[in-house]
Amino acid sequence: MAAQVSAVPEPVLATRELGKRFGGVVALEALTLAVAPNEILGLIGPNGSGKTTFFNVVTGIYPADGGAVTFDGRDITRLAPQGVYRAGIARTFQRSRLSLPLSIFDNIMVGNHKRLTQGLWFNLFRRRAFRREFEESYARARELVAVFDPPLADRMFEAVEGLPMIDRRRIEICRALISRPKLLLLDEPSAGMTHDETTQLMDDILQVKDSLADLTIIIIEHEMGVIERITDRCAVLNFGRKICEGSYQEVAADPLVQEAYLGLE
Amino acid sequence: MQPKTGERPSLWPGLLGIAGVAVYLIVFLMIESQVGVAVLLVGGAAAVVLAARFGALERMRTSFAGREGSMDIAVPAAVLALVLVFHQDHFTLLLVATVMIFMTASLGLTVQFGFAGVLNFAGAAFLGIGCYTAAVLTKNTGLSHLLVILAGGVMAALIGGLLLYPVLRTRGHYSAVITIAFTLLFKTFLEVNDALGGPQGLRVDGLNLFGWAFNDNIALTETVELSFYTNYVLASLVLVCLGFAFLRRLDRSWIGLNMDAVRLDETASACFGYNISRWQITAFTVGNFLIGMAGALYAMMLGFIAPTNFTFGDSLILVSIVLLGGIGNPWGIAVATTIVIVLPEKLQMIQEYRFLLYAAMVILILLFRPRGLLPRPLRAYFPGWQPK
Amino acid sequence: MDVGLFGQYVMNGLMLGMMYALVAVGFTLFFGVLDVINFAHGDSLMVGAFTGLATYLGLRELGVVWPAVQVPVVLAAATAAMAVAGALIARYLVLPLKSAPALNTLLITLMLGTVLRESIRLFYPAGANPKPFPALLPAGAVELGNFSLRADNMLMLSAGLVVIVAVHLVINRTKLGLAIRAVAQDEETARTMGIDFTRIVLVTFAIGSALAAFAGIMNGLYYNEINFGIGLLLGVIGFSSAIIGGLGNIYGAIIGGFLFAALQTIGAVALPFASAYKDVFAFAVVILIMAIRPTGLLSEKVSERV
Repeated sequence: MAAQVSAVPEPVLATRELGKRFGGVVALEALTLAVAPNEILGLIGPNGSGKTTFFNVVTGIYPADGGAVTFDGRDITRLAPQGVYRAGIARTFQRSRLSLPLSIFDNIMVGNHKRLTQGLWFNLFRRRAFRREFEESYARARELVAVFDPPLADRMFEAVEGLPMIDRRRIEICRALISRPKLLLLDEPSAGMTHDETTQLMDDILQVKDSLADLTIIIIEHEMGVIERITDRCAVLNFGRKICEGSYQEVAADPLVQEAYLGLE
Repeated sequence: MQPKTGERPSLWPGLLGIAGVAVYLIVFLMIESQVGVAVLLVGGAAAVVLAARFGALERMRTSFAGREGSMDIAVPAAVLALVLVFHQDHFTLLLVATVMIFMTASLGLTVQFGFAGVLNFAGAAFLGIGCYTAAVLTKNTGLSHLLVILAGGVMAALIGGLLLYPVLRTRGHYSAVITIAFTLLFKTFLEVNDALGGPQGLRVDGLNLFGWAFNDNIALTETVELSFYTNYVLASLVLVCLGFAFLRRLDRSWIGLNMDAVRLDETASACFGYNISRWQITAFTVGNFLIGMAGALYAMMLGFIAPTNFTFGDSLILVSIVLLGGIGNPWGIAVATTIVIVLPEKLQMIQEYRFLLYAAMVILILLFRPRGLLPRPLRAYFPGWQPK
Repeated sequence: MDVGLFGQYVMNGLMLGMMYALVAVGFTLFFGVLDVINFAHGDSLMVGAFTGLATYLGLRELGVVWPAVQVPVVLAAATAAMAVAGALIARYLVLPLKSAPALNTLLITLMLGTVLRESIRLFYPAGANPKPFPALLPAGAVELGNFSLRADNMLMLSAGLVVIVAVHLVINRTKLGLAIRAVAQDEETARTMGIDFTRIVLVTFAIGSALAAFAGIMNGLYYNEINFGIGLLLGVIGFSSAIIGGLGNIYGAIIGGFLFAALQTIGAVALPFASAYKDVFAFAVVILIMAIRPTGLLSEKVSERV
């Protein structure tokens, strides 16, 4: 047993027998999953198979009914969303959840919460120190936006509500990345994008991942092309259970997976 | 949206705007005949519509945003000009001071639900707490009146904390119902409580700062005497300026951002580490502190307070001011308070109908112009700041 | 405490509880279908009571003096008028703000409540004064020791019970109720299943507001007096009841209504010197319950979808 554990690298995120029910509906059933450092794991499955619920349980929005989540060697099962974020997990949402009346910069700073000084005294009266922090944050935010959405890098103080959905999704990814999380959870980042836009977005994600030394990504995605191109490994969920795990080719060839998808066609 | 580098917008549209409003207000306050007031109102509305139509309002807005320092001096200067014109007119000066006191209270309310989204329908009750604190302290202690004003704020903040701490700790919109219940009960409490004067209310001593008695007229020369309300106009001007500066600092910091984030999306902000109740409680406390201080000053100016000043209807008037002006925009508050407080005093016809009128007005605002008369601009942490 | 006084307190608590429950059910129905809080609800109750009063006065002018006719007509007029008003509120004030922040709906209904209240005060003949409400129900009483069980109270309680059972049956046994429950569960799914969302919302608001009118008439008959301000406190109490029961849960609302009345009664017994404090006591307990169980005693609709 011990030999086996040391053979594979210590996983960044590991869930054991994770369960979640809503009334009588089982959303997650005994889900055991390990994510290796620096890999990109694709989470696929038909609608309602529990993918987003998995994100919501891991990030603490819904408390788990059973099982455990370990992140970076630490048990985070009972942590509230705030604690999960502090531990180093950031996410995007299936339906874009930016604060529309705020500027691009403000939205990205929401994601930077743990790195900003929050004291009342500092914010109100130490304006010079505040200015330094503001300028540093601006430079970092601009750098990120320049990767994902270059035209917006010079429009950081415009409201988000005027932007098309594609830009909003990119800003949401910037918001999740600005705090330098160890684990990034992407919930259908390409929803509503054209094929070319999706390709572009995935290139950007890969580029950012290469530039950051220590970043693991779990991505929920319906576009099989995307999954094939960017993921190292995939896990397939159906009715809240993991039915298959492995490389894209292995998963695609699995009869259970084909049945799960065909069964819903 | 962003101003062109190196080019500062002109001062003149802003200054002309301020001068125009000041002159208009002076005429408006001077005129006695009801027909004259009505004509002036229609004329004012028409002027605003025309100014908007021909871009003058937009130019004023840029001027205000880009030349903030100058505007911050020009507006109080205009208030002082108003005082000079009406220096002997008790009624008008009282009205001017009342407007600024309500402005301060509305600024507090803005922090609460304009920024953090915590509903407070007990604005009048917290104002009342400040008033009664001042009444009790001036009567029973020799505390410096400067401290009495602070105590009014502290009292309001404390009672607000007791009231809402359990609710905000667990999140939710329930603050609305709790604050409504509190307003209803507060008035009853005052009425049955003989120690606080019951339904008859209490007398309050006038403000006295380091020997400067605010309730004495100021004799400049043998013949020229300023109304004692001039003192209160100055005091409330100082208070509202402090409140304004505070609100602006708060808005232009991470804390302003935190409050916005919590208001706009609790779930998303929780996922980015926000302690939601911390910011709601901060906003609620800070807001009540401002409202309470305004109340203490108000009580000392009126010299007499009674439970009927602090009804649910009065709380709703405060809420109407914030919504009408443009949620979260302090300049909007200034405009809306002036309209809401001055209008029924000058146009007696609507005095009786004011609750109905303002409620209907807010419904229309919410349906057709939810961001208010002067919508809140995007946050600029350092106005005029340009990325290098 | 002697039996007579005790019986009096129980009876009073039951009457209040019935009124609160009727109001709370409305709050919970609105919240169920639309996730909104209608703060004009208490004032709908008040307008309902005034509609009933005006109908009664009209009938008297016409020479109709038989209670057997008056009661049903007054009830029908009040509930029908408020049902229409409720649907109009939903159609023109609440639905247009559906995609706006939840605060806006709360504010607009609160302001509408003020408009209703002020309109009655200003435009109903001498509306600023309390109005006597006619005793339309039989006045007999059964003496039980030194406690008299009044016939009108029993009638009102039974009528309230019938209404609550009727609402229960509509929600659980009819197609309309099924549609309401479907919309409450998940609006989008309900739409895809062919349910006319707008119609269901309007009907729900009509039902809820009619219940408020019914409670308003009960209030008038019980106290023999109404005034333009009764809706405000009753609305707040009804909403608090709905919250302690668990917003969105009809049975929770009913329990909450009776619980609040019980708290008030206990407060009145424990603090006999100042009746103003019985409400303070009741609200303090409500705040406590909310702090301990923020989703209410019987929570239903849990969190939003993420």
